[in-house]
Amino acid sequence: MNYIKLTINGKEITAPEGSTVLEAARSAGIDIPTLCFDGSLEAYGGCGVCVVEAEGIPKLLRSCSAKISDGMVIHTESERVIKARKIAIELIMSAHDGDCIAPCQLACPANTDCQGYVGLIANGEFKEALKLIKTKIPLPASIGRVCPHPCEKACRRKKAEEPINIAQLKSFAADLDLKGESYLTEVKENTGKKVAVVGGGPGGLTAAYYLRTEGHEVTVYDMMDKMGGMLRYGIPEYRLPKKVLDSEIALIEKTGVKLCNNVKLGKDITLDALKTQNDAVILAPGAWKSSPMRVKGEELEGVYGGIDFLRSVIKENSVDIGKRVAVCGGGNTAMDACRTAVRLGAEEVYVIYRRTEAEMPAEEIEIKESKEEGVIYKFLTNPVEIHGEGGKVCGMTLQLMELGESDASGRRRPIPIEGKTEYIELDSVIMAIGQKLDTSDFGEITLNDRGNILVGENSFKTNIDGVFAIGDATNKGASIAIEAIGEADRCAKVVNAYLNGEKLSFTQPYLSKRDEDRVDVSDREFQPRTVAKVLEANYRRNCFDEVSLGLTAEEAQKEAQRCLECGCREYFKCRLLNVAQRYDINPERFAGEMPQEYTHDENAFIERNPAKCILCGLCVRSCRETEKLSVWGLLGRGFKTEVATSFSLPLDETKCTNCGLCVKLCPTGALAEKSALRKQVPLKEEYSLQSVTVDGLECRVIVASYAGKVLRVIPDNENARKIDRNKLNELFIK
Amino acid sequence: MRIVVGQGSCGIAAGAEKVRQALIKEGFTAPELTIAGCIGMCYLEPIVDIYDDNGDVKRLVKVSEMDAPKIAEYIRTGNIGLISDLLVSEEDAQFLKKQTRIALRRCGIINPEELADYEKADGYSALKKAVTEMTPEEVIEVIKTSGLAGRGGAGFPTWFKWNAARQAEGDEKYLICNADEGDPGAFMDRAVIESDPHNLIEGMLIGAYAIGAQNAVVYVRAEYPLAIKRLKRAIKQATEAGYLGSNIFGSDFSCNMTIKAGAGAFVCGEETALIESLEGHRGMPRLKPPFPAQSGFWRKPSNINNVETFANVGWIINNGGEAFAAMGTEGSKGTKVFAVTGKIKRSGLVEIPMGKTLRDVIFDIGGGIKDGKEFKAVQMGGPSGGCIPAELIDTVIDYKALGATGAIMGSGGMVVMDEGTCMVNMAKFFLDFTAKESCGKCVPCRIGTTRMLEILKRITDGNGKEGDIELLEELCYGIKDGSLCGLGQTAPNPVLTTIRYFRDEYEAHINSKNCPAGECSELIEYYIVPEKCKGCTLCARNCPVDAISGSVKTVHKIDTEKCIKCKKCYQSCKFDAIIKR
Repeated sequence: MNYIKLTINGKEITAPEGSTVLEAARSAGIDIPTLCFDGSLEAYGGCGVCVVEAEGIPKLLRSCSAKISDGMVIHTESERVIKARKIAIELIMSAHDGDCIAPCQLACPANTDCQGYVGLIANGEFKEALKLIKTKIPLPASIGRVCPHPCEKACRRKKAEEPINIAQLKSFAADLDLKGESYLTEVKENTGKKVAVVGGGPGGLTAAYYLRTEGHEVTVYDMMDKMGGMLRYGIPEYRLPKKVLDSEIALIEKTGVKLCNNVKLGKDITLDALKTQNDAVILAPGAWKSSPMRVKGEELEGVYGGIDFLRSVIKENSVDIGKRVAVCGGGNTAMDACRTAVRLGAEEVYVIYRRTEAEMPAEEIEIKESKEEGVIYKFLTNPVEIHGEGGKVCGMTLQLMELGESDASGRRRPIPIEGKTEYIELDSVIMAIGQKLDTSDFGEITLNDRGNILVGENSFKTNIDGVFAIGDATNKGASIAIEAIGEADRCAKVVNAYLNGEKLSFTQPYLSKRDEDRVDVSDREFQPRTVAKVLEANYRRNCFDEVSLGLTAEEAQKEAQRCLECGCREYFKCRLLNVAQRYDINPERFAGEMPQEYTHDENAFIERNPAKCILCGLCVRSCRETEKLSVWGLLGRGFKTEVATSFSLPLDETKCTNCGLCVKLCPTGALAEKSALRKQVPLKEEYSLQSVTVDGLECRVIVASYAGKVLRVIPDNENARKIDRNKLNELFIK
Repeated sequence: MRIVVGQGSCGIAAGAEKVRQALIKEGFTAPELTIAGCIGMCYLEPIVDIYDDNGDVKRLVKVSEMDAPKIAEYIRTGNIGLISDLLVSEEDAQFLKKQTRIALRRCGIINPEELADYEKADGYSALKKAVTEMTPEEVIEVIKTSGLAGRGGAGFPTWFKWNAARQAEGDEKYLICNADEGDPGAFMDRAVIESDPHNLIEGMLIGAYAIGAQNAVVYVRAEYPLAIKRLKRAIKQATEAGYLGSNIFGSDFSCNMTIKAGAGAFVCGEETALIESLEGHRGMPRLKPPFPAQSGFWRKPSNINNVETFANVGWIINNGGEAFAAMGTEGSKGTKVFAVTGKIKRSGLVEIPMGKTLRDVIFDIGGGIKDGKEFKAVQMGGPSGGCIPAELIDTVIDYKALGATGAIMGSGGMVVMDEGTCMVNMAKFFLDFTAKESCGKCVPCRIGTTRMLEILKRITDGNGKEGDIELLEELCYGIKDGSLCGLGQTAPNPVLTTIRYFRDEYEAHINSKNCPAGECSELIEYYIVPEKCKGCTLCARNCPVDAISGSVKTVHKIDTEKCIKCKKCYQSCKFDAIIKR
């Protein structure tokens, strides 16, 4: 065979005469992306992604078909090539209607694979669900109870009736794990590197946990006498029993994280000392100071800050608040405060909120349950003065309000109604209107204009090298626990890279997302949401017992079945996404009509969604050229061209033998192999090539498994494609 | 004496068959009463030519069946006064006199259904000469000398393709005629087949002889039933007469000819897509190379030329390559047929030597713009072509010179536009066509053209955004660079050229939500100028939605909320009192 010399990206290579540019490049280890190409089929040239530039040739070449010639000088990543590829990819993505990952996961600040664990729960794989959760959240039983679940707000099931009860499903899986032999993650070999984490709240503990699993020696310092931070001292017992938190913290400790309580930074230990004793320091001190209201009378005895009040109750079990209590604020801390006040025996508990119920940031369920417990709401009122007698609270004047124009947050702005006030008699006032970082302890750390620690958005770096910071104490200030956990997870990765002498900064890679306006769930059967039973209001208002009784296994599986499976089944092996993430693309600029309906079609082995099809033609061509069947064909012209079965028949009525070749070649999730799970779940499978003899034929198959369980068996040679799929499945799927 | 009724599709559509039937009623029959194809003066159809025994002709135009008695009376009496109102005017006669006809030389003159007519007009003499006196190489050499280039659009030298196919290894070769004339506004190929089908057969046979093909196929669009009918008849006649079949003119050269009716996809004008379609597949282009000359129909060496190209071949063989090359410019030889349509006074088929200017075609031959309006631009080459503005009216008809403007010679479609044509809307029209006709194979063309169309739609709807022009340009170059075949590579041309010459119009739509030509209905409103309104009530009576108020002899007013911009008032006002603004 004759060999030809050519240059690709400045590298001189030789390749057999008659090779294509793509073959020559790949043989030299140079990767050129392709979507519509497969070595077993004739080159097609449809996707336009494999283009390269050849010196002296004015047009870009499609490397899948252009043959090499002597002395050719090829550039596979030149500016012109990248521009052409980007525009091709952007156009493809603009007409590719699908979600790479589900909206619930995207909405979770910790990027928890909600669809994954909900799906596993639906299949009864409770342990696997818990393991999946723990890759993102080390405190799932606690978080499942307290999280305001942004995932559920994004859940598309709400368009049909109500969102999936994701939060309770999470605590269900976690509780089950705590009751049995609890799962302990693997810890890598010791690296010899040391990390100090200041603050043992959800953020600090999470960062410690993930850095420990990487093999680093991690110590958590906390000023309180127990770990848990706001989860312990800011959340009342009836919402999160402390024994649940204790069990979860104990599991973290079991991985080898050292926990040091009653150590306050700036008092018991200095930042300088931590720095010299460790290779990296993560500050996660939280925001422990209640924000003042700047109302006259705030200094009176009987006026408490929201989190100060909750902490005192948890630490000392009781606070003397009298019989008449007003809680100012409309958030979750206000809810915790008012419901705690009820439990302390207060007879009249008011919530003072300057807008209406519709604008309250607190969870709906909290409002509902607090009302059941007898809390009185005074909407459209605002405290103007707290009155005292002998230095002690005796009442409060409220300004009556009305709603005006919408403000920047989209909520209608409350405006005082001139001259209209109301007076209520009170014994104490709890001001739950926000919390701030106690800044006295941080020395040389640079703060922002809000008084929070200033850190890089994705780097978590403070102004001091080796010192990182996360959570409520940083940048925008206090937020929800899952936000701190997400930051902690990302920060752990950054710090791990830092300890290994690498640089890492987070950028969100491109993901395909469906336009919510196009989502139609009208074909879904009505299935109400399953919610865990709760204690009777009359019983629970007198004690601190956990209100929620949790989901039973049966309830959990039923609830998880409701999941709409928004995220793409093929996310973990999608070639299209792989190509799309290769360059910095912006398909949004070409947003417009979608060529195909988002539909679902399936037979026993294959699922099909034409909306995700990119018309690479691999299915059509492989069925025609390799299998000589022509089950698939192209229909229509122009933008609306589609892949259709012969005579648009259902797959089972065509000549399809379920050989799986088209599915294997499909670069997207337009065609997918069904898995052995009852509820289909996108999972990061492991693949192995195996050979078996069936009916005297040597069959090669790709075996896809998850957590040791075989989920799919995909024929990988001509013999295997001839065998009945049920037979192949029986051999591997138990 | 002979009465010839022009019966191309266009003539028949205008009523030529009714005229012929009326003449039959007056007692005329064949051979005295006969038909011809299309002379190319669309705006004057139906046309009846009356030849006296000396061969002099009286050409009657816009004839209706009601005129038959007058014509009969004239023929009986010779009283020219009877038909003076039907006689073609001297001015209109110039439309033909100023042309130089080679491809169309027999069109509208001979009877396309009679082989004898063709034979009388030198028919098959060129084939005889080629087959009996010349070697295939000599034929190719003559074509090379002539400088004939492909008339279908790309303008590739014909001899080169023939030579490549001749040189290609293989005993079995194919000659294919592309008669899938898909450009909206182009109809010269149809005219040739309907009016002079044997000329196509003869040209193809000379080509088949030159490349060594034993089989010839004409791929005609199914929307041309009359062309298919006449070509079928001609193939039958030629086969019976021995011009087609085995041992033509007693030589070793044998060739069969078949017709394949296309299913109406524009992309099948692209040669590899045409081959796919011929083979019974979906019409989608193949990757090139290999080129059809190496691997074409059934993977055998094949040569594809357009109808007009073949229509020149017989003439070149008979008159010599030099005679053909004597016409035209350095790089473009011979004549070219243009199908001139749009806002022009005299529309039809114009064949002129290369080297003339657009002005010669549009003003000298076409008579300029209708209704006293200003000439604004001409779209050359159909949806693949580009738009040439008024200031470039003196551009020479030459492949290179036209290419330099951003337009192309193309198949010769010329759509003439006046001041009332919105260039953004025009670009949208052509892009809508190509977007729909994209075969769906490659991404830039399939998705890119639709995205461009969406942007153009929002611009003409008044929803254009800053940056849209740049986005369009980026898409244009991306599609040109990334598309597999000519359809995609040229689809952005109407947009690119209109942006190049009429950027201000795009900007007006986007920035001031204004359509300067007053064509985009979302951006205009109709207004009655009070000073001009006589209160005749005509507009109010014509308004289908009662949007116009006003009583007799008072100034009328349009309620713009109700107005649906149907244009009826604007068209009906006798006092030009209604304006667009």
